[in-house]
Amino acid sequence: MTLYHFGNCVALVYVPYYLAYKHSGLSEYGAFWKCVQAGMIYMFTQLIKMMVLATFFPDNVEEFGSYLIGDFFKYTVDIADLVGLHFVLDGIPGKGHSKVLTAGIGWATAEVILSRALLLWVGARGAEFDWIYIQKCLESNILLVQHIATATLIWLRSRHNLNNNLKTVVTILLVLSCYKSLLFESLIHILKLGTWLGLVVKGAFTLAYGLFSLSIYAGMAELMGIY
Amino acid sequence: MWLDEVEEIFKGYLPYYILVFLPIFIIVSPANPVSAAHEFPVYRMQHYDLHGISFGSRGAAVNLEARSISAWSSSRHCIVTRFTDLTLNSFRNIRGKAGALIVQLPKTLSNFTQEEKQQLLLLENKMLYEQETSIPVYFTKYDPKFDNIVTELETNIDISNKKKSATEAMFSSIAGNGYQIVIASSNPTARTDIKIPTFHGHLAGSRPDGKVPTIAIVTHYDSFGVAPELSFGADANGSGVIVMLELIRLLSGLYSNPKTRGKYNILFILTGGGKINYQGSKKWLEDQLDSSEGSLIQEASFVMCLDTLAASDTIFMHVSKPPKEGSASSMFYKNLKSVGEDHPSVSIEGVHKKINLAEDILAWEHERYSIRRLPGFTLSTVKSHKDSWRSTILDSRENLDTNRLSRNARIIVDAIGKYVYDIPEGEKMDPDLEIDSNQIESRLKFLADQPRSQQLLSSKDNGLVTSLQNDFSKYLTDVKVTYAVPDKRDPDYQFFGNTKGTMNVYNVKPAVFDLILTLAITAYLTSVYFAINYIPALYSLCSNLIKLEKAKAK
Repeated sequence: MTLYHFGNCVALVYVPYYLAYKHSGLSEYGAFWKCVQAGMIYMFTQLIKMMVLATFFPDNVEEFGSYLIGDFFKYTVDIADLVGLHFVLDGIPGKGHSKVLTAGIGWATAEVILSRALLLWVGARGAEFDWIYIQKCLESNILLVQHIATATLIWLRSRHNLNNNLKTVVTILLVLSCYKSLLFESLIHILKLGTWLGLVVKGAFTLAYGLFSLSIYAGMAELMGIY
Repeated sequence: MWLDEVEEIFKGYLPYYILVFLPIFIIVSPANPVSAAHEFPVYRMQHYDLHGISFGSRGAAVNLEARSISAWSSSRHCIVTRFTDLTLNSFRNIRGKAGALIVQLPKTLSNFTQEEKQQLLLLENKMLYEQETSIPVYFTKYDPKFDNIVTELETNIDISNKKKSATEAMFSSIAGNGYQIVIASSNPTARTDIKIPTFHGHLAGSRPDGKVPTIAIVTHYDSFGVAPELSFGADANGSGVIVMLELIRLLSGLYSNPKTRGKYNILFILTGGGKINYQGSKKWLEDQLDSSEGSLIQEASFVMCLDTLAASDTIFMHVSKPPKEGSASSMFYKNLKSVGEDHPSVSIEGVHKKINLAEDILAWEHERYSIRRLPGFTLSTVKSHKDSWRSTILDSRENLDTNRLSRNARIIVDAIGKYVYDIPEGEKMDPDLEIDSNQIESRLKFLADQPRSQQLLSSKDNGLVTSLQNDFSKYLTDVKVTYAVPDKRDPDYQFFGNTKGTMNVYNVKPAVFDLILTLAITAYLTSVYFAINYIPALYSLCSNLIKLEKAKAK
């Protein structure tokens, strides 16, 4: 709408990232460059995903017979994200909190900068007012939680001393997280929720996902003796 | 003001050099890269000068806040309304004090009661002729999306409205949807490429003594209305053109056979600029009468002009001087009367109106010829030249009664046929001249499906003009085109550009809304801050729970 509105949106989208970085104690570890590294790997992963999509997938998802199947295949490529996050975790020395948080925050920050900055710059600054920009900003905040939780789960899965039952649950959750947007879209479509209510649903699910990851992580940390 | 706010947000969170770079980015980035959610085509009101008097709306560019017709207050507002909601008084008020006016036309231009129609005609007429308008005035066709915007603006709470509660009023002043209307346009300039084409051609008659008198049939092809792009002029003067083309088609068939060739030369003149004081006729007459070689028009028995032939069931014969008994015009009038008697639903009337030489604007096209001492009359179904029906955007194809047009065409064709072949009263034409109503339909479709305002037809190689010329060339001999061009230094008439444009409607919120949003975002961020601080506690809670479980398991 105006530059001022753009400022509002930017504050809404980036300040939680900043707070997460500052208050997780990462700044004290000097993990900034590790975050940047995570961002680089994010970009590289996206590039590979795009190449795969462009090479192996038809322009028109309808060729698969239905949108749902087409979208399903498209989101399958998102498994590359998990692999990318795994590499990020591998590249960060240390263990426990800082490792997981650095990977999650770095990854999410790279995403938010690459996917939202241009949108806000072009859209929110224009003359037309639309709630969609505020919604996108709030969605980015939800994504932060999700990425940290996903990073935690990937780290947990790579541990050998995680018991087998939990390992299966974690794997299932990770695979589901790839299809998360597809699932949410379908859910919102089926229940005919509005965008705001859809956002609330997404937030609630992500919160549950995060809490679940946190409790498994707490158990593991207890086992390993890190605090 | 906002700079301080921005600074406050950024202070402590983001480094200060952002404040240096951000303005640079803003300057470097392309200006306002917006794509409006709503774009509508709009058509600007007439804008022309005639004999030194300005008509229509002078402005073109709009960048103002939209308001409904009941809620505007200053020249910073652009009034958005429906044509049916606009009244003459409110228009006068708007013309003087508002910033711009956007009028949405109804879904269809038919379906009006007689009263509504008269009111719209009067309004349109006054909008055009009362005095010039300095603000931009645009018309837009019915669009459901735009209609919603108009309705929303109407229901928007007007702050001065006492009926609404204080909370409602406050809420609407904070979060109310506003619309910004932007029509990007340069200042309209007088067009210099105006060329008004007039065609003429004739059918040569024959008489044994070789002295063949001439009759001339004249009609203009342009239309007129409050907005040039919306003036389809099905009746005025599409009907005149259709009747003339029908006459040409039928008579040329007879004239091509030496046995059935008529006793008169028939000169057909299709003129332009009929709605701007018959400029086409004026120029054509000057050329013909002042040229050294003789012209058919000089020995014309009479000049018959056709104008608006489907408006009513009465055909008026307008003359500027009552025809003398025994003159060609009076004989034609008798023919017309006798043909009219065969159609009980039709009446034929003569109307006498003297030429007012004191006035610049002539009433009927035949006056152009009468001034030059050529006996002339106009056939029309409207009684007065001031009838608004001759210059309205309501005159569209759906408002034209094709049966009536065919019947009136038939009467005129029969009357001319009778005259040309000297058929005594009471006898029928042989062979019969059959009007082809399919032809009329298709011609009407062709003529009335595109706006025919003179300024739109004056460009080179206009499709409509070319096709009319082709029709002439197909049936008539000696088809020639005369162009009327306004004088460079002291033009009689001038048209201005920018007849249409694109309107962007932006959804905007009041400035206060941003401040409230900032407050909300600050509150949200504070809660995020506390949530993040709470995470260690949550973590230890989880750990304790797990410890407890383990202890139980043991």
